[in-house]
Amino acid sequence: MLRRLTAIAGAVFLDAIKRKVVYAVLFFAVILAFSAPSLPSYGAGVDVGVYREVALSLTFAAALVLALALSANRIPSEVERRTVYNVIAKPVSRWEYVVGTWIGIAVVMAAVIAAFTAVDQLVGLVRYGDPMWRLWQGALAIWLETGVLTAFAVAVSALSGAVVVTVATLTFAFIGHARQPVLASAPGFPAWLYPSLDSFNIINPVAHGAGVGVTYVAVMALVFAGWVVALLTLGSLGFARRDL
Amino acid sequence: MSENEQGTQGAAISVTGARKVYKVFPQTLRVAVDDVSISVPQGAIHGLLGPNGAGKTTTLKMLLGLVRPTAGTFSVFGVDSRSRAGRAHLGFLPEQPYFPPQLSAAQAMRLYARLSGVPEREIATRTGELLEQVGLEGQQRTLLAAFSRGMLQRLGIAQAILSRPSVVILDEPASGLDPLGQRDVRNLMLKLRDEGATVLLSSHQLSEVEAVCDRVSIMSRGCVAAEGAISDLLSVAGRTTMRASGLPGGLPAALAPLAADAVSFDGVWIFSVDDGAVRRAVDAVDDAGGSVLHVEPKRETLEDYFTRMLSRDDGKVA
Repeated sequence: MLRRLTAIAGAVFLDAIKRKVVYAVLFFAVILAFSAPSLPSYGAGVDVGVYREVALSLTFAAALVLALALSANRIPSEVERRTVYNVIAKPVSRWEYVVGTWIGIAVVMAAVIAAFTAVDQLVGLVRYGDPMWRLWQGALAIWLETGVLTAFAVAVSALSGAVVVTVATLTFAFIGHARQPVLASAPGFPAWLYPSLDSFNIINPVAHGAGVGVTYVAVMALVFAGWVVALLTLGSLGFARRDL
Repeated sequence: MSENEQGTQGAAISVTGARKVYKVFPQTLRVAVDDVSISVPQGAIHGLLGPNGAGKTTTLKMLLGLVRPTAGTFSVFGVDSRSRAGRAHLGFLPEQPYFPPQLSAAQAMRLYARLSGVPEREIATRTGELLEQVGLEGQQRTLLAAFSRGMLQRLGIAQAILSRPSVVILDEPASGLDPLGQRDVRNLMLKLRDEGATVLLSSHQLSEVEAVCDRVSIMSRGCVAAEGAISDLLSVAGRTTMRASGLPGGLPAALAPLAADAVSFDGVWIFSVDDGAVRRAVDAVDDAGGSVLHVEPKRETLEDYFTRMLSRDDGKVA
């Protein structure tokens, strides 16, 4: 099983890193990272914090765009071009195909977010003389969140086309970050039913505080694992019933 | 035990009562395949023929687990062919195969080898052997985006037989290939059969099917319209074809009333007679000083048979 999962993930990774969109997003993210310190004149003592906030926000935005670009059309295009036949006709379970696809995209996202963060760190070091190691905590949270969003996109794409996947994933991301105001306006709604991605939003403590503790990181990892397992299970069940 | 049940005992491929109904929006039902049964013994090359939309590819897809059947059972060597264990016996070439364009030929073969369970230490050797066998030697590092239609077809064939499957399913294997490539595919199928593999071939190329297949199933409108050994299907009951030479004056008077479809080429006469008139026809040739070169049961071409079969209104034949 592991061999088949790594084979599929490896093929997705190799295919993804040769796509221009990865380098285009990286290029513009680097330009933005270099131009962030030249944004408005921050007040004394807060400029480093603002830089960290801008850097993490840009990383999240770029990662979200890339996650959608890589995951929304992956399975639909494989089905449409029939490249999926060469995989599914082999002794491969459909869930292995869905999970392997997600793993491949998650690995690409890890590499890209690490590259973003390294550039952010380099610019911070050169401009402010601060290595900003806490940025890696924010990077981990961003990777975990994009992992959940990618799992959602892969699950939906197992049943639908790229446009539906993109709209659904953006809606999911928006709703996931609007938990507090929505629940406040609907007092009777059971909170545990509401999908929340807020636990991954640690930009503020990382940018302006001391970051988050190990326990919180463990909670984020648990939430991530729960979401990913649930979404990929649903996606695999849907894909297993699909005529190719 | 019915004849069909007897036929499926020990079969390499067995499809029984296959049916697929698609729900077309909003509430229409479309029957793509209806009660199709096919049994292929081990070591045979079985042809699946039919016009576009006859249900050939849907039947193959159900056999491979790519499409969920509405009804029917599908097995290879007694194992459900739709299960992972069943698919371990199978190699499949889809019609007009396509591959991830950003991978090289070697990367694609490595992917499919790992998915098929080829041992890691054998992958490089097997890839080299197969790419050479299908005429893609020296292309290991070429990106598939740069492959021509024919090259993709050849790669598709290579990946289908990568794990030395005991059953190979080929959907239009000669599609996109030049005549030389088509000949190579025919030879490859015969080689696979000689090595003990079973081949299920779906094709529009009747000459290809006639050249390599032991038996055929002809599908029309989702049903099996005819099935049998090619020699049986094509033989014309009650007629015999004869070839004779040494008849410069034309067919002798005693033979002319017996012969039909007579043609002459390079001094050789070819004609057909009723089975009961063969002795008299031979005597007539002898009496006229000619020589009988060949006598065999009359056969029509697969193309003629296929055309005649599909032109029938009901589309169903025993």
